[in-house]
Amino acid sequence: MTLRGGRTTQALRRGVLTLSILTVIGTPFLAARMADRTWPQWLFVGATGAARALGLELLDPLMSVGVLVARGVRPGLLAAAVPVLLLVLVLGRFFCGWLCPYLPLLAVSNAVRWGLGRLGIPTLDLRFPGWLRFAVLGGVLGGTAALGVQLAALVYPPALLARSAYRLAFGLGLGGGATVLAAVWLFDTTVSRAGFCRSLCPGGALFSLLGALSPVRVRRAPAACTDCTVCDVVCNLGQRPMTDRVDAGCERCGRCVASCPTGALSFSLEGRRP
Amino acid sequence: MNRRGLLALAAGAVSGLLVRRPRAAAGELRPPGALLPGDFERACIGCFRCAEVCPTRAIRFPAGAGLDAGHPFLALRESACVLCMACTEACPTGALARIPPVPERVAAEVRIGVPVLDRKACLPWSGQGVCRLCAYVCPVGKRAVELVGPQQAPLFHAEACVGCGLCEEACPEEARAIRIAPASAHREGGA
Repeated sequence: MTLRGGRTTQALRRGVLTLSILTVIGTPFLAARMADRTWPQWLFVGATGAARALGLELLDPLMSVGVLVARGVRPGLLAAAVPVLLLVLVLGRFFCGWLCPYLPLLAVSNAVRWGLGRLGIPTLDLRFPGWLRFAVLGGVLGGTAALGVQLAALVYPPALLARSAYRLAFGLGLGGGATVLAAVWLFDTTVSRAGFCRSLCPGGALFSLLGALSPVRVRRAPAACTDCTVCDVVCNLGQRPMTDRVDAGCERCGRCVASCPTGALSFSLEGRRP
Repeated sequence: MNRRGLLALAAGAVSGLLVRRPRAAAGELRPPGALLPGDFERACIGCFRCAEVCPTRAIRFPAGAGLDAGHPFLALRESACVLCMACTEACPTGALARIPPVPERVAAEVRIGVPVLDRKACLPWSGQGVCRLCAYVCPVGKRAVELVGPQQAPLFHAEACVGCGLCEEACPEEARAIRIAPASAHREGGA
């Protein structure tokens, strides 16, 4: 089974992403302006890390696993954690391409990289070994267990962004989380394109790990492909659809599918990779 | 993930496990229903939902980027807790145990901190007149604040106090004699 219609997918993705960003940034501002805080809290509370939407509780797998290593299995959290985990098993690292509130900042980072290039100012684009992100994930989880503090809350861009938005909305200043976020953005802009997402983000690493057997894959029809490299260039995460080198690091954003001039790429549902 | 990724995950986890934390000296005032220090930090994912729903904005987060940056604390001096229990209802991980906003349950289960009275600053205790504001605003009543003597001086009973900080907030500007302190400090003889 394959899915073409790259543009429709992109329109859908932008809609979902806009909704995600509105909830991360918009609801704290809304909440701060409601004197008695009587907005319907079953409708929406929180951000992507721990959201309540339409009465449904959803917990980011990185947070679920963080609580798991720090406190063991908490039956009370299963209802919020398990549906999201199942979604990641099926869709792989889709959060990074469809929901992560850091994506607009990444888009700006890429635009700045491009602009600097036009001005003749060189930017680095270092590539790091594939195992690095797993080492970071291991370090974050090991550190969480050893310190008894949820480290993901301190280094994971979606969590930092949500807390910074809350601080701004409530007039508390940006705080230290924004400094970490700025460092991440500068790293992506000057050292390595989407380098944090690709090689350092513990969430991205966990999603790749959990979604390693995801049946949703980008597939290429070699007969239609003209080897133009657009798909490889457009990918933020260093995947190479043009030479069929797409691994669990793919965020299923579908930008390669939409940008292919000959329609040679498509999402396909299949079993294990050959 | 290949074997190298697995090795990296294991190596990262082992090096993470070797980290040791410097022991924090003083505890913070946590929102109502908070688990004991230690357990609370393990359970709290810094999602800020408690602060988002707090009607008095008493729940804050540290401004820095250190280990405690994701942990909510109460700024009772600026704004007291009105014991609405919305934060315990909003907490996604049980770091704040759910407590229904029923007066009996709140009085029995909420222990944010303990009141510390500076008798030299307190108006009746220092012989500057009758005040009674702390007793008027106390949601628990006589069990927590007893008025004694001809000056109606307050006598706090920490074991019945929920630590909401309404008395701290109500205490006259010129006195500022009451402070809600972390319960751990009390146990160490801080009161």
